[in-house]
Amino acid sequence: MHISEGVLSGTALIAGWAGTVTCTAIGLKKTDTSKIVRTALLSSAFFLASLVNIRIGPSSTHLSLLAPVGLILGWSSFPAMLVALFLQAILFHFGGLVVLGVNTFIMGIPAVLVHVVFGKMMRSENRIFSGIMAFIAGTLAVMTGACLAGVFLGLSDKNFLEAAKLLFYAHIPLALIEGAVTSFMIMFIRKTSPEFLS
Amino acid sequence: MKIESITESQSSTSCISPEALLLCSLVYALTVSMSDSFYALTLASIVPVLLLIRNRFILSSLVRLNAFNLIMIITLAMTWPSLTEGIMKGLTIALRVNMIYILFGTLIYPMGYARIFSALNSLNVPEKLRVLLLLTLRGIFILHERFSSALISLRLRAPNLHGLMKFRAFAYITASVLLQSSERSERMMRAIQCRGGFAGFIQTEHKRLRIHDVIVCLCFIFYSCSVIILNYA
Repeated sequence: MHISEGVLSGTALIAGWAGTVTCTAIGLKKTDTSKIVRTALLSSAFFLASLVNIRIGPSSTHLSLLAPVGLILGWSSFPAMLVALFLQAILFHFGGLVVLGVNTFIMGIPAVLVHVVFGKMMRSENRIFSGIMAFIAGTLAVMTGACLAGVFLGLSDKNFLEAAKLLFYAHIPLALIEGAVTSFMIMFIRKTSPEFLS
Repeated sequence: MKIESITESQSSTSCISPEALLLCSLVYALTVSMSDSFYALTLASIVPVLLLIRNRFILSSLVRLNAFNLIMIITLAMTWPSLTEGIMKGLTIALRVNMIYILFGTLIYPMGYARIFSALNSLNVPEKLRVLLLLTLRGIFILHERFSSALISLRLRAPNLHGLMKFRAFAYITASVLLQSSERSERMMRAIQCRGGFAGFIQTEHKRLRIHDVIVCLCFIFYSCSVIILNYA
């Protein structure tokens, strides 16, 4: 889901940075100092998830953990993702520093979205219902991210829209896997340490 | 890619302050990203070519980068309204990607995270964000160690996991590592508070821009402005 350097136009880059700066400022304001270590921990998990390859047939992919990060951190996921993507850019050269604003926005918005829509449902009495909602949240987060990537590509050049459609379809298997992993993770956390979701 | 490869190295540009390098590189990268014309990109390529001659270690990573660029050019050629236009667009993007990568790969990435953190400190990035950055870097090593040992034990106990079971095992491992580390992070937080909160937590060097840093910045700004003017002329 990372957009590489050099692909986007100036307008798209500026729009991405404007969105990221605003949302990160909100996120930092809402992040209590006592919760900063937990935010850092989830940020590290988000960073590491991209280094763990999962084989799917002849190909392989990596998870993003967008939905678990969003469901646990809420608005704090914006600073967490900004930091993780910054470290990915300087240590492993994934994405880049100029497109950092756009990449953070693409991944931060789905995380906040699943928190707003599904956050309360994760604490429901019915465990199966929570699991199903977590699956939908995980799938939706990846597909929203792919859609946003398409929007930024389209904002740069309308001719990118066909490539953006390809990108969207390529993310469908990943979205389903991410949904399953999110569902299992949330069910496990609910069972062993429910206060982690509060 | 291995997490152990995160190391600090000495850069040939260590005499210039990290904040000046960071600012110059970002301004230049933004200029290149906004440039489309052939003449502007030719002018912009002077600095990366000079940097490439001095730092040949980056060539091997450029090969890997261009393998990815090739896939991107093929995709654009297939999806663009005209084949020739698609290839040209792909080549322009590939040229931009190479130029930005050479610049960051020779000036920024070899600085190491300590100098980069120092630059962020000097550039007045909010303290909460800087603390988060430091704690995240620390958390990466802790989580990676725990996650690796959990994965090894999983592979020993169940070497042939397939389908949904594989994702279930992965999810359980991730969640349990997170919960274990969360308990540790709570203790860490209490220790930080006992030491006086986050006051003085960041012990990075405070530097001011020196005269040669200012000259480098001005040269880069002049160079970037020339590229922009040529692009829109």
